[in-house]
Amino acid sequence: MRRSLKFRPLLKACFSLFRIETAESLQYRAAAIAGASIGIFWGLIEITVYTVFFLFADRNEAALSLPQVVSYCWLHQCLFGFFSMNIDSEILAKINNGDVGVELCRPLDLYFHWFSKTAGKRIGRFWWRGIITAAVALLMPAGYRLGAPDSSWVPGFCLFLISIGAAFLLCTSFGMLITAIRMGITWGEGPANMLFLLSLVLSGAYLPLQLWPDAWQGFLFFQPFAGNFDLPIRMYVGSLSPGGGAAAIGIQLTWTAVFIASGRVIMKRKLRNIIVQGG
Amino acid sequence: MPQIQLTGIQKRFTVYERPEGKWPLLRGAFIRHARQVQALDSVSFSVEEGEMVGYIGPNGAGKSTTVKIMSGILTPDAGKCVIMGRVPWRQRVDHVSRIGVVFGQRSQLWWDVPVNDSFDLLRDIYDIRPASYAVRRDELCAALDLGGLLKTPARQLSLGQRMRCELAAALLHSPRILFLDEPTIGLDSVSKLALRAFLKEENQKSGVTVLLTTHDMDDIQALCRRVMVIGRGRLLYDGGLAVMLECYAAREGQDIDEIIAEMYRDMELGEE
Repeated sequence: MRRSLKFRPLLKACFSLFRIETAESLQYRAAAIAGASIGIFWGLIEITVYTVFFLFADRNEAALSLPQVVSYCWLHQCLFGFFSMNIDSEILAKINNGDVGVELCRPLDLYFHWFSKTAGKRIGRFWWRGIITAAVALLMPAGYRLGAPDSSWVPGFCLFLISIGAAFLLCTSFGMLITAIRMGITWGEGPANMLFLLSLVLSGAYLPLQLWPDAWQGFLFFQPFAGNFDLPIRMYVGSLSPGGGAAAIGIQLTWTAVFIASGRVIMKRKLRNIIVQGG
Repeated sequence: MPQIQLTGIQKRFTVYERPEGKWPLLRGAFIRHARQVQALDSVSFSVEEGEMVGYIGPNGAGKSTTVKIMSGILTPDAGKCVIMGRVPWRQRVDHVSRIGVVFGQRSQLWWDVPVNDSFDLLRDIYDIRPASYAVRRDELCAALDLGGLLKTPARQLSLGQRMRCELAAALLHSPRILFLDEPTIGLDSVSKLALRAFLKEENQKSGVTVLLTTHDMDDIQALCRRVMVIGRGRLLYDGGLAVMLECYAAREGQDIDEIIAEMYRDMELGEE
């Protein structure tokens, strides 16, 4: 009873935090253009390399065709704003210099407080970077162009949009899990960076997961990080069966729930023994 | 039942020390020495509603630790603390929605956004009703003279301006208790006087309890009749300010800072 009474104010406060962080990060247009330029540059390099591979391969029996891989590269660059290789710098500073104390003086659950902030920042960053990259990718000459979504199965595109939303929650909840693990630790960023890198590799950022060995495909489909980019992009390029789309979203949401639950538990335990640094 | 009641609060921190010198330095990479520091040693006091209490002590005495425990940030190792019927660290969210905290050395405003947006955000976080929020905000803006600052991002405010905004931010939800941890640190005389006048008025008007931690004895003298002295984690004095000053004043016309320094010496409280 008491919980349900508290739920609406929490939601309202979180939404408010999300909004202010989004508005703030949307201001940084130079950073957005810089991010988009990097994305476009990487996209072009990747496409060039894949084109060479596909043209000169002895046997061409890959699970994805070259146009699918080209679209994959662009979409991955568009969606990359969701993902972060670091713990949110503002939150990390608060952990390190003891401003966690100020955050704890707010009548809010710290996990959802930070989740909303992180989410707001990421959506703001994603917005410009994603739009600019997508626009440029659609204007590229043939062979380098972002292809149209797979039209053989129309609901697939709707599932793709839903799946993007789920990917956003998944990336954010994983970032929050790492943040929770990082709390109360004074020995630097190494382990956090390793975990982020592992998640990036397993999310298909360096090589689309469907181009990995066939024997691994089962594991790659069900592991948590496929949902970051790979699963939604499969829906767009049409390399996932219609039934697989719903399953993929189910996998994304399940892992999101697991990350949120474990992040909250860890954060709660850390807060019990927290030492607020500084006078 | 007093509004704030602390009984036998204990808190220790573990400090890791590295041996000095060339070879011990290397050894320190493998073996570390943990030392226990008793930050608070059985601290007990109570504060009634509407009081203004000064909480003083030399650096490292445990003032901030006490404030952190009372605001639900730190969990003590032992002892009881009940504030308005709640245990701060157990019912943190309920507790902090009824207190206001200002840390002089930390900011609670959002750095990059206009002050007004910070206030609106606090309205949502504290779930203040829009009508009473507008009234309260205008009241605070008038009292603290914030009219011209509301559209400025916090990062562009001077320290004095920011401190006034911080105070308003801490009072928007009309808390019953206000913890101030060195609120006048680094402020010029004009800002200090304005801040003191405001606190006095706010205390009289709304009856908010104020617990003031500071090194500025003029703050204490201007605001508090009661003062608590803490040193090496123990509460050493709790009583009237006038009585304490009389007790330690060696000669006529002595400066209050000199008297306090004399008292710290007498209690053997210098920095370690």
